[in-house]
Amino acid sequence: MRLHSLTLRNFRGVADRTVQLPAIGTTVVVGDNEVGKSSLVEAFTLVFDYPDDSKSKRIADVQPVGHDVAPEVTVELTLGGRELTYTKRWLKNRSTELSVVEPDGRRRSWTGREAHNEAERLFNENVDPVLWQTLMVTQGQSLILPTPADAEPLITAVTAESGTPVDGASMPLVSAVEHEYLRYWTPRGRPTGDFAKSAQAVAAAELRSTQAAKAMEEVVADIRRAERLALDLDDLSTRLAEHLKSVEELRVRKKETDEILLRRDSVRARAETARARLENHTRTRLERERLLAEVERFTQSAAELAELKAEAEKVAKASMETLHAAEAALAEVVELKDDRRSDVQHAEQRVSELMDRAELDRLTGQQAELADVRARIAAASRVLDGIKVTDALVAELEDARAKVVEARAALAAGVPDVLVRRVGADTVSLSGTGLDGGGSAVPSELDEGAEVSVLVSGELHVGVPGQVEVTVRAGGEAASLRSLVDEAVRRETDLLKRAKVRDLQAARELLRKSDTASAELQEARRTERSLTAGGDPGERIALLSARLGVTGDEEPEEEAAAPKGKQQPAVENVPGQMSLFEEFAEDTFDFEDLVEPLAPDDLAGAQRALEDARSELATAERLLADAEFAAAQARKAADEDRSEAQQARARAELAAERVAAATAELEAARAVLADEDVEAAEEKATAEVEAVLDELTAVQEQVDAAGADHVEGELTDALAVANRLQAERDALRDSLRTTEGRLEQSGRDGLATRQDAADLELAAIRAEHENLQRRADAARRVYETLGRHRAAAQTKYSEPLQSRIEALGRSVYGPTFRVWLDDDLAVAERELDGNRLRVEALSTGAQEQLAIITRLAISHLVSTTENSVPVIFDDALGWSDKARLRDMGALLGRAGDHGQVIILTCMPERYEYVPRATFIKLD
Amino acid sequence: MDESITFLHSSDWQLGMMRRFLGPDGQARWGQARLDAVARIGDVAERTGARFLVVTGDVFEHNQVERQTILRACEALKRIPVPVVLLPGNHDALEPGSLWTSAQWTAHKPDHVTVVTGTTPLEIVPGVEIVGAPWRSRRPVSDPAAPGYAGLAPAEDGVRRILLAHGQLTSLSGGMSDVPTIDQAALEAAVADGRLQYVGLGDRHSTTQVTERIWFSGTQEVTAPEENDPGNVLAVTLAGDSITVEPQRVGAWHMVEHHAELDGEESLKALEDWFAELPDKERTYVRLAADGSLPLPLLSRLDAMVDAQGEVFASVERWAKFWTVRPAPEAADLDALQLSGPARAAMEELRQALAGGDESAGAALTLMHRLARDAG
Repeated sequence: MRLHSLTLRNFRGVADRTVQLPAIGTTVVVGDNEVGKSSLVEAFTLVFDYPDDSKSKRIADVQPVGHDVAPEVTVELTLGGRELTYTKRWLKNRSTELSVVEPDGRRRSWTGREAHNEAERLFNENVDPVLWQTLMVTQGQSLILPTPADAEPLITAVTAESGTPVDGASMPLVSAVEHEYLRYWTPRGRPTGDFAKSAQAVAAAELRSTQAAKAMEEVVADIRRAERLALDLDDLSTRLAEHLKSVEELRVRKKETDEILLRRDSVRARAETARARLENHTRTRLERERLLAEVERFTQSAAELAELKAEAEKVAKASMETLHAAEAALAEVVELKDDRRSDVQHAEQRVSELMDRAELDRLTGQQAELADVRARIAAASRVLDGIKVTDALVAELEDARAKVVEARAALAAGVPDVLVRRVGADTVSLSGTGLDGGGSAVPSELDEGAEVSVLVSGELHVGVPGQVEVTVRAGGEAASLRSLVDEAVRRETDLLKRAKVRDLQAARELLRKSDTASAELQEARRTERSLTAGGDPGERIALLSARLGVTGDEEPEEEAAAPKGKQQPAVENVPGQMSLFEEFAEDTFDFEDLVEPLAPDDLAGAQRALEDARSELATAERLLADAEFAAAQARKAADEDRSEAQQARARAELAAERVAAATAELEAARAVLADEDVEAAEEKATAEVEAVLDELTAVQEQVDAAGADHVEGELTDALAVANRLQAERDALRDSLRTTEGRLEQSGRDGLATRQDAADLELAAIRAEHENLQRRADAARRVYETLGRHRAAAQTKYSEPLQSRIEALGRSVYGPTFRVWLDDDLAVAERELDGNRLRVEALSTGAQEQLAIITRLAISHLVSTTENSVPVIFDDALGWSDKARLRDMGALLGRAGDHGQVIILTCMPERYEYVPRATFIKLD
Repeated sequence: MDESITFLHSSDWQLGMMRRFLGPDGQARWGQARLDAVARIGDVAERTGARFLVVTGDVFEHNQVERQTILRACEALKRIPVPVVLLPGNHDALEPGSLWTSAQWTAHKPDHVTVVTGTTPLEIVPGVEIVGAPWRSRRPVSDPAAPGYAGLAPAEDGVRRILLAHGQLTSLSGGMSDVPTIDQAALEAAVADGRLQYVGLGDRHSTTQVTERIWFSGTQEVTAPEENDPGNVLAVTLAGDSITVEPQRVGAWHMVEHHAELDGEESLKALEDWFAELPDKERTYVRLAADGSLPLPLLSRLDAMVDAQGEVFASVERWAKFWTVRPAPEAADLDALQLSGPARAAMEELRQALAGGDESAGAALTLMHRLARDAG
């Protein structure tokens, strides 16, 4: 098909326009938006698809808005060698006209519906709709890669070129094979559906069969076990029976040998008796010999002990006497010591007495002194009581004195000082209120020659009676100054009254006296305190006087100490035992020294006498200690000797008793059996023992001969074996019963039937599965074989298109450009510089370019056939950069060499590189 | 001994047996048929005036059959109106755990049924003494019949003695038996010297006469295609010195084996005819062997035929071991499919693989042929 011209009237925005298109080559129709580029394509489609009376919305839509006009399209084209002029008007004044010039030049025409039908028929006959749709790229569809497998002209071309017939007729077979394959296998080749289920069923049935078989194997094993147990039981029962027989034989034999053994036991018993009797006699003899020896030994021992006793008693008596002597000497020394203690006490008493007297004297003196001191205290106290002046009072007086002087001075300065002197004899009287220079009141009159200076504080009247009277009056302040003086004088006067003194001087004198008396009083009091520090001497004087037996004023009498006579210790000599005491008395005791001295009258003498008495007491105490030691020694010796004597006495008595006892025992034994019969009895018993032992030897020989000693052991062993065999038999019996019980149970369970059923089921399932397996294998074999052949054919079949795409593509992308097509002859993958990608993964620009290249390649393939159609791009290459635009432009230009390429665009610059293109500009 | 007496001899009931080739439904029907056959023995007893029935071994398939089998067996036995003597065989030996000593059996056993548990002679009816040798283990160590008549004196006057035994005869086992066999010569000697008047044997499922007085009764209902004349009970009549043994049919099932040579249309037709002529189809098991090669359309027809017959018969089994029918694709078959391109190439590849001996290619080719035909 070739388009020659298109005329649009009242079509959308186009009022009337005709576009002429070259039959060969690339035409670029350029126009701004809305000038109707796309309407050209639309008009071509509508004119063939919609009859003039169509009420379709698509027709209504092409009528210009607001214009009640009829859209009209005229198209001129070559179709299957015929030249067609086809005009159609819709909506108003509807008409259809078709004019056809046949290849042979005949001209025919149709109108109305016939024209429409004929045009449609011619179009359908000569234009493959798939190819038409594939090669016409409407606006916005430029990215979509074509899938042209169903385009008949393409198939024809490919088949013609590849020599491979298209397998279209076997497509149902392919589907059927695939369907069959998928009944058994997943696309990835795993069993599925009933086939997979049957494999699982086989596995499950195998498991059940195995379990059932195992259960039956156990049953069979039990049967074997039971058979074996039964055999073992028979065998064991036989052995047991035989064994019990031998046990019985042993029992009989034992009964026989038991008799011999009884006899031996009897002889053994008699032998024991004889042996015991012999032992008895031997013991009797030995006992008699022992008794005789004892009597002799004890008698001798008793005599020796009696001698020892006598000697010990003598020694004890002597030591007792010595003790008595020592105790007497001790008593004497005790007495002596007591006397010496008494002497000491007397001396101590005398010293005490003398010391008391001296104290009494001292206290009496002290008492006199105390009385004196107390008199002084009283005197001083009296003085002090009379004096009222104190330091403070004196100070106050001194202050008052100063105030008076001060006031007077002020007065003198503030009032008239009037000097009144009596020069004559006339009396001068004075009166008024003023003060003289001494501060005293104004004298009432003046003596002759006397003068007085008066400080007038009020009014001073000086007169000579009857002659003159002068009055001096003080100024304004005089009264107050005068009252200050008066006040000071009054305070001084009060203070002097309180002090009971005349003036300040007297007060000061009195104060000095008071200080003196206070000092004396303090000193006297200190003395008094020291004298009474040890208490009131009076009390002690009374105490001592009482003790000494004198009145307070008497001298205590000297107590006459009774002189003591010389004392001799009474020591008697103990005859025969001289003695420590004697030696001690001679060496240390000088009786002449014991003369009692006279009591001294002075304290020193008394104290010396006390020292001597004490020295003598110490000597006596030493003597006493020695005497006590000697007595203790004597007492200890006496005790020991007495004890020794008592023991000797006891031993002697015991020896005598033993002699008596032994003798008695011997006599008793003799009463039973006389000494001479003892030995004879022993000899007789010895003979009896020998006889019975001979008899025993004979019996033992019989026992040995019969083996009697072993029969019992054999019988015991045999019984033990019998018991063991019985136990084994019982155990076997139990095992057999248990096994039989199990078998009974498995019989009830019908295990064999179960196994058969399981096997039966397994066989059926397995047969079914094998059947499915055969089918599945066949399906797979067919599927794979067919698939392999189809793949090979497809490769060969797609080669013409593939090689064209690659040839075109390499002019744009270079020599490494390759593509792979899928079953629909659509490009599936592209490789560039060794990088192979699925087309979906390519950039938008690359996809668009590939889509254009593929269409140009298809167009090229079908260009030689009568069924070729124009390639129409309604706006494309919007995604390509400049470099690509250049290459793509060259490609589009070359495509025009083989057919009609129509490009509609509002961007002519995209196509400026298209060589030899015809540019048509729409206004 | 002038008075004649008739009794029945059966064996190898093997109740509880299962046949995997029958499938679940066939198995259930066949199992019931074996019981029905036992019941029919009762009918025969009535018809022939038999005085008693002896069953010489393998009454049950196992000692461990399910309870239902035992109870149904007891029910079937009740329908036999004469005394019944059962002999334990190798399948139901009187071994430990034996069914015969189980409570399930002893509690339900009909009173007129006696199980031979020892070698003591049993007077089943006046003048007839039964001796037997029950199996005590599945693995006997000597002639399993010998204990039954060892040490017996000739029967007294007027007494007929019948020996019940189970096992293979040395003469018939072909030396293949793995258990001790029955000494036929010794049996014949015992018959000859008057110790035994009849020997009833079990274990062989086909009715078999060994001598005039020594018989295998065979199973009451067929158990395998190999069996020759199964499904009978023997009516034995002893009259004076003479004996009459008459097999009476009680079985209802058939098990047949067929070998088909298939090479084309006619052979296929012959097979169809063979199937058509078989009686009692619903009670018949067919084990089918086939050899030869068929064009793909005929092969499909064969498959369809066998599948269809499988629905009609109790079971039709392709005998895998002897099933060697191959597809023989002809060029015309393939051309008829009008395949081109890869499909044609694939089919051609499979055809050549089959020709080269690749058996699995046959199935694939057949499948592809069918799919192409259906798709076309």
